[in-house]
Amino acid sequence: MSRPIADAHCLIVADGDVLIRNALAEYLRHCGYKVIEAASSDEVMTALDLGSAKVDAILADASLPGRFNAFELRLQVKKRLPTVEIVLTGNVDSAAKAAGELCDEGPHLKRPYEAEKVVAHIKRLLAASRRQDRPEN
Amino acid sequence: MNGSEIAAGQGSTVRTQTILLVEDEFVIRLMLGDALRDAGYHVLEAGDGAEGLAVLLSGQPIDLMVTDVRMPGDIDGIELSRRSKASDASRPVIVCSGHLLPEEADPADAFVSKPYLAQQLIDIIERLIGKPCPDQSQTRTA
Repeated sequence: MSRPIADAHCLIVADGDVLIRNALAEYLRHCGYKVIEAASSDEVMTALDLGSAKVDAILADASLPGRFNAFELRLQVKKRLPTVEIVLTGNVDSAAKAAGELCDEGPHLKRPYEAEKVVAHIKRLLAASRRQDRPEN
Repeated sequence: MNGSEIAAGQGSTVRTQTILLVEDEFVIRLMLGDALRDAGYHVLEAGDGAEGLAVLLSGQPIDLMVTDVRMPGDIDGIELSRRSKASDASRPVIVCSGHLLPEEADPADAFVSKPYLAQQLIDIIERLIGKPCPDQSQTRTA
């Protein structure tokens, strides 16, 4: 992380996969953050435009869908809100690791559980969802 | 297993009721998600029917689903309601729409006509699954 964000209270979790997004957001809520869940870069921009909460950091999947890709999103946000930290993640493991770091810097002094458990949880959910969605032979 | 249960580890017997909220309009989803969490429920948010179905199929315990009807993609709120009832007929479903007539909302257990206040929705949820149970699985310290 480029700077400590110990005073941060609101994060955006942006990921096109609902199971990953839900699990990361849930973890960060347990860490004491207010979390806005965004399914696309368009929703991230809408959340920032709304201004209903001061957003301190954005945890975004590098392959986030939407009008802007994750890298363009970072440029757009930096132009408008230079103090907002954007953490780009490439897979479930790196996303959970980044969430764990945010948790360490967050409002609570203690992690609710280890980030590795989030990874295992997400992988179980993804496997169950894919298994159930597979047509029967 | 949801995040609360991960935090609790083994042996948790009481968990807050979980609501799956499926709404493609981001601002409405954001507002309702906050209102339901403030009311004390655990909320899983999904941005369209396909996301809602992925959550339903993931095996997480879901006590009630709230869904919009008109959403982008192949699965609208009515089809999602049918899929939810097929996987668990006892799980209540609330359909919200500004276009549908109540009698068209089958197989939902309740219909809410848009626009509506968050408190109206919370009142219906309380009637269907009760007031939120205090989550006894929290292990973190504030």
